[in-house]
Amino acid sequence: MGMEQVGHNFMTGQLEDVVQWARRRSMWPAAFGLACCAIEMMAAGGAHYDLGRYGMEVFRASPRQADLMIVAGRVSQKMAPVLRQVYDQMVEPKWVISMGVCASSGGMFNNYAIVQGVDQIVPVDVYIPGCPPGPETLMHGILNLHEMVRTGEIMKRRSANNGGAGIEIANVLPADSAPTPVTVSIADHSSSTLAV
Amino acid sequence: MKDEREIVTVTIDGIEMQAPKGELLIRVAQDNGTFVPRFCWHERMKPVGMCRMCLVEVEGVRGMPPACTTTVTDGMVVNTKSETVKKAQDGVLEFLLINHPLDCPVCDRGGECPLQDQTLAFGPGESRYVEEKRHFEKPIPISELVLLDRERCIQCSRCTRFADEIAGDRLIDFGERGGEMQVITYPDDPFTSYFSGNTVQVCPVGALTAKPYRFRARPWDLSAVETSCQTCSVGCRGSLESSSNELVRLLGVDVEPVNHGWLCDKGRFGYEATHAEDRARNPMIRRDGSLVECSWPEALDAAAEGIKRSLDLHGPASIAMVGGSRGTNEDAYLWARLAKGVIGTDNVDAQIGDGLPAEVVLGLPGATIPDLDEAAAIILLGPDLKEELPVLYLRVRRACVDLGVPILDVSAVDHGLSKYASATIRHLPGEQASAAREISAALAPLIDGRSGPIVVVLGRSDVATSAEPTVAAAAIIREIPNTRFLVALRRGNVRGAIDLGLAPGFLPGRVTLDAGAERFVAAWGSAPAEVGLDTAGIFNAASEGRIGALILVGADIVNDFPDRRLVRAGVGGAGFVICINATVTEAAADADVFLPATVWGEKAGTTTNLEGRISRVGRKIAAVGNPMPDFRIASELALRLGTDFDLETVEEIQDEIARVAPAFAEVDAQLLKRARDGVVLPLALHRDELVLEPRRIPVIDFSWEPIKPEGPGEFEVVEFEVVEPVLEADASDEAAAEEESALPVDISNGAGLPDAQLFVWSAQHAAQPTPGRDNYALRLSAGRSLYDNGRTVASTPALRALIPAQTLRVNPSEISRVGVADGESVRVSTARGSLVLSLTGDANVPAGVAVMPFNIGETGVGDLVDVSLVVTDLRLETLR
Amino acid sequence: MARFSGFGVTFKQMFKPRITGFYPKEKREKPERFHGRHVLNRYEDGMEKCIGCELCAGVCPAKCIYVRGADNSPDSPVSPGERFGFVYEINYLRCIHCDMCVEACPTEAITETKLFEFSFANRADAIYTKEELLVDDEGRAKRQPWELWLGGEDDKTSAWMRATSSSGDADYEGRVNWSGELGFGVREPEQGQSL
Repeated sequence: MGMEQVGHNFMTGQLEDVVQWARRRSMWPAAFGLACCAIEMMAAGGAHYDLGRYGMEVFRASPRQADLMIVAGRVSQKMAPVLRQVYDQMVEPKWVISMGVCASSGGMFNNYAIVQGVDQIVPVDVYIPGCPPGPETLMHGILNLHEMVRTGEIMKRRSANNGGAGIEIANVLPADSAPTPVTVSIADHSSSTLAV
Repeated sequence: MKDEREIVTVTIDGIEMQAPKGELLIRVAQDNGTFVPRFCWHERMKPVGMCRMCLVEVEGVRGMPPACTTTVTDGMVVNTKSETVKKAQDGVLEFLLINHPLDCPVCDRGGECPLQDQTLAFGPGESRYVEEKRHFEKPIPISELVLLDRERCIQCSRCTRFADEIAGDRLIDFGERGGEMQVITYPDDPFTSYFSGNTVQVCPVGALTAKPYRFRARPWDLSAVETSCQTCSVGCRGSLESSSNELVRLLGVDVEPVNHGWLCDKGRFGYEATHAEDRARNPMIRRDGSLVECSWPEALDAAAEGIKRSLDLHGPASIAMVGGSRGTNEDAYLWARLAKGVIGTDNVDAQIGDGLPAEVVLGLPGATIPDLDEAAAIILLGPDLKEELPVLYLRVRRACVDLGVPILDVSAVDHGLSKYASATIRHLPGEQASAAREISAALAPLIDGRSGPIVVVLGRSDVATSAEPTVAAAAIIREIPNTRFLVALRRGNVRGAIDLGLAPGFLPGRVTLDAGAERFVAAWGSAPAEVGLDTAGIFNAASEGRIGALILVGADIVNDFPDRRLVRAGVGGAGFVICINATVTEAAADADVFLPATVWGEKAGTTTNLEGRISRVGRKIAAVGNPMPDFRIASELALRLGTDFDLETVEEIQDEIARVAPAFAEVDAQLLKRARDGVVLPLALHRDELVLEPRRIPVIDFSWEPIKPEGPGEFEVVEFEVVEPVLEADASDEAAAEEESALPVDISNGAGLPDAQLFVWSAQHAAQPTPGRDNYALRLSAGRSLYDNGRTVASTPALRALIPAQTLRVNPSEISRVGVADGESVRVSTARGSLVLSLTGDANVPAGVAVMPFNIGETGVGDLVDVSLVVTDLRLETLR
Repeated sequence: MARFSGFGVTFKQMFKPRITGFYPKEKREKPERFHGRHVLNRYEDGMEKCIGCELCAGVCPAKCIYVRGADNSPDSPVSPGERFGFVYEINYLRCIHCDMCVEACPTEAITETKLFEFSFANRADAIYTKEELLVDDEGRAKRQPWELWLGGEDDKTSAWMRATSSSGDADYEGRVNWSGELGFGVREPEQGQSL
């Protein structure tokens, strides 16, 4: 955080790597187990698979303390606003894994009750197929995400499409503030500048 | 037809049922809810008893008679489910499957196959046959549209019987014997029937497959909607099916009064035009000399602005609207209301110079298609039905061949029905009136004590001759007592468009401007007072600069109007041209605003066929891009011109039509939804033809039924429960009568609107003498061929190849007179222009007449015809 | 002493063998009938087995398969017979790996591998096309770069035991209900059945 305004040089290049390493190595998931996928997600935290190997064993009950949301299971229309609220309460930088086909696309529940893809509600970084995905498939997705965090690929993607949590920064600023471009810092690289 | 046969009682599987004596056992069983399996028997064909699948036990009869060739007699006791019958069915199916390949996964029929279904329901379960099956080369094309797989054929002869009995094109037949028995075509005569697609639909296995549908989809991923075909004005009922938002086929639905389940190939395969590459996706306006895509509000604003400017500068008479016969009734009504109620012009014509005047269409006593079957005689004075209205051709042919109705053929040249005519009157093109004077004399021996009306199929037989002689002839025939007219106009919903006021001099609901003025001023606020111009008049006015804004609604005007030079001058001379169409046609390319419209299959509504029967059109797919239905475009334009129609849905428009248009009284959305076979206008005269009970399907889970009771959700089924087959016929009649009396009558004839009298043609017509032909000239007869350069065929890959080559057919004596060889090119000149065409000798063409189909080839009839002349005489010159 | 008994558990576990797998380097062994990512098989002469009949798409409860058939050109046929699968796509964000498609397939064209380790950063990537699903010349699944293949997960892609025989009888003549001569890595019959 706060790295975006710093111009790149020898020092900051290394510093960024350190930050990315740190983010990757202590990604704390918010528990968002919704259905059968959650059982596999729990198994992934257990001794046989041991997410602790990646520093991820602490599933936080509070979104304030989590930076990764694993949406494990089908999201009903009634659950959708709750999910979005939990996501909004998480602090930046934050990531979302859509675990299993129900979360990713509604899966076989192609009906009125189920959200047809959780990416209609929150920005998803990694989709994991399977019904349910096994712990190893989940870990494939997690490692996939780790790799993208390490290389900064996710940040590039977000800045490219002005993504992120969609925080309205314009409302925060005082109305008479100087009309200088303000960089929106939603964990992105300096490209999404807004003239306010 | 009233069934006056004696009623007998038969017992089938222990259930007593009544049936008319002499009825086929298989039909009696089916009508009463007992399904006897069958392959060869088809409701609309004569029984042959080829497949032996319908064997039943009849008490007191030795052996097992097939139910499809056995007629019921009083006291008959039939068993269709006994052990013996079961064993026979097992045996027949095992025999059929000896040579039938089990390639169901790749077969187009797999999933809706009578053989599959009946093997599952009645078959033995396992086969004892382990030897190699017979093999043939496959598939072999038997026509441009139909492929034959001889391995799958079970020799039921449905296709050959259809071609022979129904279509009259006996071009396929059985060859060889035993296991080698197969469907063959004649070596010199390919199966070039206009009805070949029907053989695919009636085939109980996948032996015949249609090229356009082949491997495109499987039955289980199709969804269907019942609809009416709008390719021509017969309005055949069909089941339109799509897969992944793409139309893949149209199947005929058996409707007693209209098409008996048959379709012509153009209608059957014409759906492909919906997916043509060149469909317009977005509205366009002219900027810096070229059409560029823009948004809808921008285009609509520009269009309304153009209309308004012309309205302000030159008044309503400077605005004209041409076309509108390809849309739904709802589209036509709102276009008429826009033109006549909002803009205030009467320069409106849905016909493109190739039909008959609206007073003839609306004012003659109408016949219905079923009237043909009961007619004392049929007079054909009009187009070649086989080429223009193919399914009507089937109905006329059936009336003649099966029911013995005599045909009097009044025409210039031989046509598809000539060989069935009992008497023929030949005349020169343009001399219909003098031919009509001979009719009553020729008719007397034909009628010969037959009762029933005389049905006249009346229409423009060719576009090179003006409507004038036909109108004169109609006035003469009208004097013959007990005549009824089927006005054979060609385009899909042209009758609906005229009924709804898209014709000069008329307001919606078959009333003239005078008669309807009071009513429509009350309903709309205003109505035009002076009779406007027809299409030819509009183009004449436009070419003289008297049309400030020209609205072209869904017509390929340059190709469809008989006189190309006049159209081009008219479109060029109009101040502002708005074109509403599915594709950018030649005229549209010159337009100032182009608005893309949805087409058949992409919009719901109703259509009116040539008898005046309104039936529903279903929406099956969503249009690609941003086209809008015509009625919405009309509403949006009206809104911009200051009138809010406040009609959002098709049903609301239907209700308004029923309220406002006199001929449509009581025909509201609710009735249209319930009337199974459509509603014939005016309802007051045809109330007894209404059928309000749902279509009766003997066993509801036949996978091969094109319309399934639970299938088309948005269609009529929502309202009804499937009626259990009722034992006594009386009971269902009573129910129908009860429902009928429950029709809402209070909305009839427009609450509070002034009455308006329906138009009746007085038939006072002073026939003008047709100019004589000089001996060196040939008189042109330009009918149409089914496959022409029209939009449907030209945009359909499967049909495009079938467009015939352009040639001028003349009597062989003319060829020798000119001194050229058969097939050689000559220069053809008329008062309008000249062309180089190849000349073909044809002994069927009378001397002095030249025949050339309209709208074929780059240049053609359109460049030779001058619509201001009554007839087109041409001269031939050698090129040497 | 009860407060120390918990430490006792920890202490005891210290001397037990570790059970944690080291996932990216090794995977836990999967059962023989495991349903993983699909493959589209070929015959030994390289012809595709898929005939584009859409039975798999029809039976799929999640509607994740999109198939379109087309006419085989007689000169260069893609599959034996008249028809071949012209488009074959599986959306792995809908597929629930129920293997109904495998059961429905009349030619054993679609079967499943044991591979289950794959994930996507993009919805569109999850739609496998026919190119990706088709086996290579040796009959083994194509290993896509985003999938984690370890060991013999493509060893047995041939037909699995069908739940029922075509006549509905699970014990139909004591034979397994797959052809046994086509495909890669033919499985042994199970439960006392014979080929």
